[in-house]
Amino acid sequence: MTGTITKIAAVILLASICSCKNSGPRQGSLSFPVADSVPAGEAEKLSEEALADIVQNIASPVEIASILQSMQVPFSAGYLAPTREADKLTTNFQKAVMLGIYGADLGYLNIYEKTGNSVEVLSTIKRLADGLRVGQYFDFETLKRLSVSKSNLDSLLFLSVNSYNQIDRYLRDNDRGSISALMIAGVWIEGQYFATQVALDNRDEILRDRIGEQKIILGDLLMLLRPYSTSSSEYQTLYGMMENMSRKYADVRVSYRLGEPETAEVDGRLVMVQHEESIVEMSDAQLAEIAEMSKEVRNTLISGI
Amino acid sequence: MKNRLLILSLTLLILPVMAEGQPATDDIVSSCILSAGENTTYLKDFRIQLPKATPGGIAPVYKANLYLMKNMKYRFSVCNAPGSNGDLVITLYDQGKELISSYNRDTGKKYGSVDFVCNKTGLYTIWYDFVNGEQGSGVGVVCMIR
Repeated sequence: MTGTITKIAAVILLASICSCKNSGPRQGSLSFPVADSVPAGEAEKLSEEALADIVQNIASPVEIASILQSMQVPFSAGYLAPTREADKLTTNFQKAVMLGIYGADLGYLNIYEKTGNSVEVLSTIKRLADGLRVGQYFDFETLKRLSVSKSNLDSLLFLSVNSYNQIDRYLRDNDRGSISALMIAGVWIEGQYFATQVALDNRDEILRDRIGEQKIILGDLLMLLRPYSTSSSEYQTLYGMMENMSRKYADVRVSYRLGEPETAEVDGRLVMVQHEESIVEMSDAQLAEIAEMSKEVRNTLISGI
Repeated sequence: MKNRLLILSLTLLILPVMAEGQPATDDIVSSCILSAGENTTYLKDFRIQLPKATPGGIAPVYKANLYLMKNMKYRFSVCNAPGSNGDLVITLYDQGKELISSYNRDTGKKYGSVDFVCNKTGLYTIWYDFVNGEQGSGVGVVCMIR
């Protein structure tokens, strides 16, 4: 009897240790053999710090969606990836990329407060996350409740972003960086798709600048994908397409104009206005080529490589 | 029976201690997001836990690189975790040059948040530390101002 109680207490303690770790900066200590892990010898590993920097800096779909909203571009469900094919995804490669793509769609839906529409996307994300064995980081019920009630956009964004961050950390901590990189790539590709498709129909300098500036981010993304680029034919195809996209950016120029910043206290808050400026030079033809390539990459991924 | 009570008591005693030792929780992040104001949209959060500076040593700092985008207004908020000895400070750097800080080291004035109107897309570095190198834990939240 005493032995049974001791075991129960040990299990409770172990479970609490594991669950406490999940709220820390580095999640999870469990590891299990998975087909998608790439042995360290096969992948030229980036430092943990470099990886964190790249992941932190991939353009947030929330920022892109916010620009579209400020341009008064109406919401269009046509920009969203279809969810009906999601159950047919068989490989971890496809699931991970689509997890990223649907994540960007969720950001777009949230910013436009089309939260009622997001339940289907949320359900799909949950199924994909479960399929990749990271569903435990996705608080589906709370997200669904917040979506349906349209109660608090920030809470919804926080929970969504937090779920993706936790999945990313867990994957990287468990030698599944290849899957994490695909998820990040999916987020970027879908954000890039939104931005470029809208830019073709709406001339807006801020949006054009944002698309041009992705030249820098794309360089980081290629660095993130490179270690796994030869790990499978699917990866090889994706990496090849991203390199083609990078070539489309080759002649886009980003230059800088110097200026001194101004700082003032406004309503008890310190505000700095920067006068140093970045300037993007991108022609209509370059934009059209980048938009076409972005669409091609995104649609290839959605239809399954 | 005695053993059962002992184990249960130990479990109940140990669990809260373990929980307290963790970095800032989602609750603190949520309240920090709320404190950023109504006209903001949450982008990222950083959970900071730093030890006290050693005597005569450099104060521990948490650094993160972050791309900030032209034509965007950002709000950087800081919130201390309950029981934190130090007050969390955010300082924004561009290529090693300090741009803005939530703590004025000359006057001792502290701000709960600072706004940055960005006109140059690029990689910036944010430093989180605690005033006077105190031990502390807290949350830094980055929001976009709508």
